[in-house]
Amino acid sequence: MKHPMLFLVLLAAATLAQAAKVTLDPSEWGHPEGENCVSCHAKASPGLTEQWRHSAHQQAGVNCMDCHQADPADVDAITHEGQVIATIVSPKDCGRCHQTELEEQTGSVHAEAHLIISERVPALAHNLTGPAMQAAGCDQCHGSRVEVRGDGSLDPATWPNSGIGRINPDGSKGSCSSCHGRHAFSKAQAREPDACVRCHSGPDSPDKEVFEASKHGMIYKAQREAMNLGADTWIAGQHYTAAPTCVTCHMGAAGKIPSTHDVGMRNAWSLNTPVSVQQYLVVFEDGDKLELPADQDPPKRGSELTKADGSIGIVKVVAGPDRRRQIMSMVCLECHAKNFTTSFMDQFDAVVELYNGKFGEPASAIMQVLYQNGLLTPLPFDEPLEFTYWELWHDEGARARHGAAMASPNHAWWEGMYLVGRNFYSRFLPRARAVAGDAASELIDPVLAQTNQHEWLASPDAANPILGWSPPVESDGASDAGSGANEAAAGAEEAETSNADAADAADSAQEESKADAANSDGGADD
Amino acid sequence: MIKLRAPLFITRHVLFALVAGGLGGVVFMFFLLEFDHFTSSNEFCLSCHSMTYADDFYQRSPHYNSPSGVRASCGDCHVSEGIIMATYDHAVGTKDLIKQLFGPDYDDPVVNTLHLPEAAFAARDWFRKRDSATCKRCHAQEAIMGTRANTAAIHTEDAQGKTCVDCHINLVHRQVPERQTFKRDAWNAMVEEEFGLEPGAAAAIMAGE
Repeated sequence: MKHPMLFLVLLAAATLAQAAKVTLDPSEWGHPEGENCVSCHAKASPGLTEQWRHSAHQQAGVNCMDCHQADPADVDAITHEGQVIATIVSPKDCGRCHQTELEEQTGSVHAEAHLIISERVPALAHNLTGPAMQAAGCDQCHGSRVEVRGDGSLDPATWPNSGIGRINPDGSKGSCSSCHGRHAFSKAQAREPDACVRCHSGPDSPDKEVFEASKHGMIYKAQREAMNLGADTWIAGQHYTAAPTCVTCHMGAAGKIPSTHDVGMRNAWSLNTPVSVQQYLVVFEDGDKLELPADQDPPKRGSELTKADGSIGIVKVVAGPDRRRQIMSMVCLECHAKNFTTSFMDQFDAVVELYNGKFGEPASAIMQVLYQNGLLTPLPFDEPLEFTYWELWHDEGARARHGAAMASPNHAWWEGMYLVGRNFYSRFLPRARAVAGDAASELIDPVLAQTNQHEWLASPDAANPILGWSPPVESDGASDAGSGANEAAAGAEEAETSNADAADAADSAQEESKADAANSDGGADD
Repeated sequence: MIKLRAPLFITRHVLFALVAGGLGGVVFMFFLLEFDHFTSSNEFCLSCHSMTYADDFYQRSPHYNSPSGVRASCGDCHVSEGIIMATYDHAVGTKDLIKQLFGPDYDDPVVNTLHLPEAAFAARDWFRKRDSATCKRCHAQEAIMGTRANTAAIHTEDAQGKTCVDCHINLVHRQVPERQTFKRDAWNAMVEEEFGLEPGAAAAIMAGE
């Protein structure tokens, strides 16, 4: 594992060192027709023209046609005022100049964002709501599969779209303008935390809010002018030290670590899954990438593997979770001590492991067993428990893990793990028991018994004043009287007491859950 | 005193023929005027069923429903001005009639849509060759003000050396790409999807005719 990854880091570093800012020779840009575009568009769409006018592209002599020119054979080529152009400038188009960024972006979780959820979309967007929501919701972040119609127009169900995993007519995946707002393509803008907010906000991945509620976010806000956001090169620890932004940790250059447009490369864990797993990053010969759970054997270099899109690729390099973590940690080390960094990561890992072991794995196992026994229909979201489970891991669980990953105590706890716990004990388990009915003790209790983390439920008498009730302290006289008999009985029954209490707790929970389920059913019928 | 005398070859018969011919010519001119007028009307064009598909889109376009109440008829755009050119256009136009009678079944909506791109390309060529003369019957480039701030500037500064249809296509009838970027396979696939045909059916229809 070590050597291939070292190779990857060195390769990336070497590429960065060698690569000029752009790979296309300047004599190749500055299309002669560009001036005509600008003359008319300055009048027809002055906003975008003005943005371009103040851009680095304009200063370098790159005009409309340099990016929008197309070959007549291109699927989405149109004839516009005598020129053959394409409306969509795909990563492949940007990659004519920005080749390194294209290669890094290819196969990243960003580029694959459409494919990653394409199987899930019908359940939520088509069944639960309606197809209109795919265009206006899902696809605006995850990217659409852009359809060019026979009359040359772009299907409005798939365009406009700047989702980051957009599948473009030329087959390339991604949308550079998702982060680099057109037509200024400002470096400073893309380095802002706000560059990520359109998608990384909301209940499932409130990363903007998490960042803002962290010390990093506080300091960024207070010292934004010291961030040097417009710098030509922007290496943490060298060109700025005030605070990190999203870019800094997930893709930015820091010390000896080169920048990368593979935003997920430094992530050791999957955090947006029912159960978090540590992952290998597999890089294929053709540049595509794939993440695999680290509990399997790593694929061998040169071996064949099925890629995310179903095609077969040849493995070039594999990076293990330790190495990915190491790269992320090296960013931290620009400002923090080694022990500080390691211990922070330990705190983060402990939260993920807590979530996995106490909630994620049991909840997932309970759902499996209910499906396997036909107690839930395979159709998603036709039963209340399915929403409960979905929100447990997808919203609350993801928030908790993201909060811990980025040091927002509020999101780790109140917006995160507190809600996970509340959901698990007050909604998920009662509903699951109601669904299981008489089989609850056979199907659900053994799952809970696999960890000792739910044993606290077996001590219902353990009082705490948090909810305003502690049993009154009994007087000495009262406790003395008959104490002998009580002690004898207690001694005899000691072993059984906890079991009986647990059973009581389970029974009462079941009753409660039945009432709950009845209410829910009533609601559903309405 | 000079006595005016008709040349000897102007006999009574010749004189009669000249008068009759002259009158006939005038009558013929009136006939052509009426003929062109009639054959430029929507009623005449739509007397072929195949033209009703073009009419569907036309009726939804601003050239049919303009806020000012001006309505452009088929002939206003597709027949040149002046008796000579109008007659010429109609004479050439008889080839459409021949194709309608002996060519593919343009009355079939599938066949009609499949052949539409070629018709659109030919129409655009026709407009370009005439420097969009029929557009200019109503639209004067220097008078275009538009509702947006810079429409006038675009039409004076950026439209120099261009003719109307260089920029303004797909205004009235169903959208068809320019010839240069037109893709027959994609068009066929669109038609197949629209009419619920099997993949490849469109190509078979095109080949069979």
